[in-house]
Amino acid sequence: MPGLDDLRKAVGKLLKRSGPYEAIVKEYIRDIQRALISADVNVRLVFELTKRIRERALKEQPPPGVSRREWLVKVTYEELVKLFGGDTEPEVKPPYTPYVIMMVGVQGSGKTTTVGKLAKFYRSMGYRVGVVAADTYRPGAYEQLQQLANRVGAMFYGEPGSKDAVAIARKGVEELKKRGADIIIVDTAGRHGYGEEEALLEEMRRIAEAISPDEVMLVIDAAMGQKSYDLAKRFHEATPIGSIVVTKMDGTAKGGGALSAVAATGARIKFIGTGEDVDELEVFRPRRFVARLLGMGDLESLLERI
Amino acid sequence: MVFGKLKKALKKFVDNVTEVVATKEISEEDLEPILEELVISLAESDVAFEVAEEIAAKLREKLVGSKIPRFSNLRGHVIKALEDSITEVLSRGYRKLDLVAEAAKRSPDNPLRIVFFGVNGVGKTTTIAKFAYMFRSHGVTPVIAAADTYRAGAQEQLRKHAEKLGVPFIGGRYGADPASVVYDAIEYARARGYRVVLIDTAGRLHTDKDLMEELRKITRVAKPDYRALVVDSLTGNDAVDQARFFDEAVGIDFIILTKVDADVKGGTALSVAAATGKPILFIGVGQGYEDLEPFEPRRYAEKILADLKQEAG
Ligand SMILES: Nc1nc2c(ncn2[C@@H]2O[C@H](COP(=O)(O)OP(=O)(O)OP(=O)(O)O)[C@@H](O)[C@H]2O)c(=O)[nH]1
Ligand SMILES: Nc1nc2c(ncn2[C@@H]2O[C@H](COP(=O)(O)OP(=O)(O)OP(=O)(O)O)[C@@H](O)[C@H]2O)c(=O)[nH]1
Ligand SMILES: [Mg+2]
Ligand SMILES: [Mg+2]
Repeated sequence: MPGLDDLRKAVGKLLKRSGPYEAIVKEYIRDIQRALISADVNVRLVFELTKRIRERALKEQPPPGVSRREWLVKVTYEELVKLFGGDTEPEVKPPYTPYVIMMVGVQGSGKTTTVGKLAKFYRSMGYRVGVVAADTYRPGAYEQLQQLANRVGAMFYGEPGSKDAVAIARKGVEELKKRGADIIIVDTAGRHGYGEEEALLEEMRRIAEAISPDEVMLVIDAAMGQKSYDLAKRFHEATPIGSIVVTKMDGTAKGGGALSAVAATGARIKFIGTGEDVDELEVFRPRRFVARLLGMGDLESLLERI
Repeated sequence: MVFGKLKKALKKFVDNVTEVVATKEISEEDLEPILEELVISLAESDVAFEVAEEIAAKLREKLVGSKIPRFSNLRGHVIKALEDSITEVLSRGYRKLDLVAEAAKRSPDNPLRIVFFGVNGVGKTTTIAKFAYMFRSHGVTPVIAAADTYRAGAQEQLRKHAEKLGVPFIGGRYGADPASVVYDAIEYARARGYRVVLIDTAGRLHTDKDLMEELRKITRVAKPDYRALVVDSLTGNDAVDQARFFDEAVGIDFIILTKVDADVKGGTALSVAAATGKPILFIGVGQGYEDLEPFEPRRYAEKILADLKQEAG
């Protein structure tokens, strides 16, 4: 894939090259742009970001013992990490209980699977977890979530005969609260909400109204391309997004679309999915993600030195 | 607007080129910044970066030094170069297939076998239901094989589709060997004279070697006439990797692009066609059974260039 492994070379090239600094910066910026665009980061975002990097690169003086070029790499990294919420790990502990999480996302992004994973994650932290099957469109959605709930030992609520997602969500949350759940996770149908699907977006809004979730979680496939900015924005406008989960990070996709979703919603990424199994969920770490975006996994050592 | 973003990018390109060509013969230096802008805007429409560059290279070849007779239709010339480049990329491996007619002609002891592959959640199972509907409404009832014995709810999902569509369903227990489900389904079709078997497989990321090995095993048992790769049109640059990996691991005969109704930017079609040289035969445009449309490269190219051509006269 162009740009990505290339970027490491570009950095290598950068570290070796001589000549006027400005020319070096220019070429380097171009390489970074290519890398980020190849990783599906929103194109406009890429240009804003690299503009900042260029300004800092030309203005700032590196600390003693660090070359200007090394400094440039460091600046790139820092600017990107900042976009992902800096060095702090996201807070995954619910601030109070009972706590209601509503999952939203486009078709097939991994919502139902992630409900299973989250249930397992919170169970292992000692919480009582209940899940609600409020996807009334996809055939087998009920069974899928039920099987996952059984696997991880979570309480389950669903109504296989009903087509009324709003009522199921409302009753499910009530019922699971009564049964003593600390954390209730509501699975919803996949939707993108464009064209013929306008009504699905409206349904999502009504579910949120009925259950007033403490957190709406947007699930994004790591392979999603430039559409993720628009999509995330659209979801955010319908029901404000509280956090983001990036799934399928075990593939070759770089997950740049998730950065666009962060920019569009202002929400932080909390978790990443790294496999189909219920325990393949990790708390999000900005630095690792950025290294992957840039296709330079082993850059940590250089950065530590600086 | 369908593929609106892509259309805009192409119009900008034509504007830029005609502006230069209007005054002189176009040189490589003139063209470079224009092509660079095109590559970026193609990327914005989800054309994978490497494919965008390939299209740019084709255009460079066609346009550099091109002497356009004065007073001739300048725009028309540039648009033609664009249309040719896009059609070339898209139709590299294109051939028309009439799957229904093929199935109808099969003898009962040798049903037409189509296996569906793809990464997780792209729409394989739903597409099979749409295919079953298509075959059925043309009077050829298919047998559906649920060879996804892995993902929670996968069996129930396909079984429900089969029930709604009124077509035979052959499944297996969770954890069972998917290849044996395939075997059972083909035997069932043979014994009862069904002429087509549609085989669903578990979604998997191409990076998982064990699972890819399982797909090869399914392929050995199924001896498919067609291996269909299902790709989500919301995919960005990874579409290229997915398509290549699957083609190398099991071989791909044609591609189905799903979720095109999600107001997609239109570039993923170019990416997968270019990366594999395999034809896109269908697009999925919704979650209903009838939401499957045939795809033709020439029509796609015409569609994204229609407005441009119209104004150029
Ligand atoms: N490899 C991998 N697969 C995943 C991951 N998360 C989910 N999946 C798979 O992605 C596919 C879709 O997951 P689902 O949970 O059904 O997605 P969904 O968003 O609920 O789908 P709809 O309800 O149809 O909108 C399934 O095959 C999951 O096993 C992940 O982190 N890695
Ligand atoms: N809007 C829209 N949704 C689609 C389309 N095709 C499939 N879907 C939806 O995408 C989601 C995933 O579809 P599946 O058919 O389960 O995908 P899959 O590839 O079989 O998934 P796994 O078996 O888990 O890998 C479902 O919610 C489908 O309804 C389409 O063309 N348009
Ligand atoms: Mg689901
Ligand atoms: Mg499936």
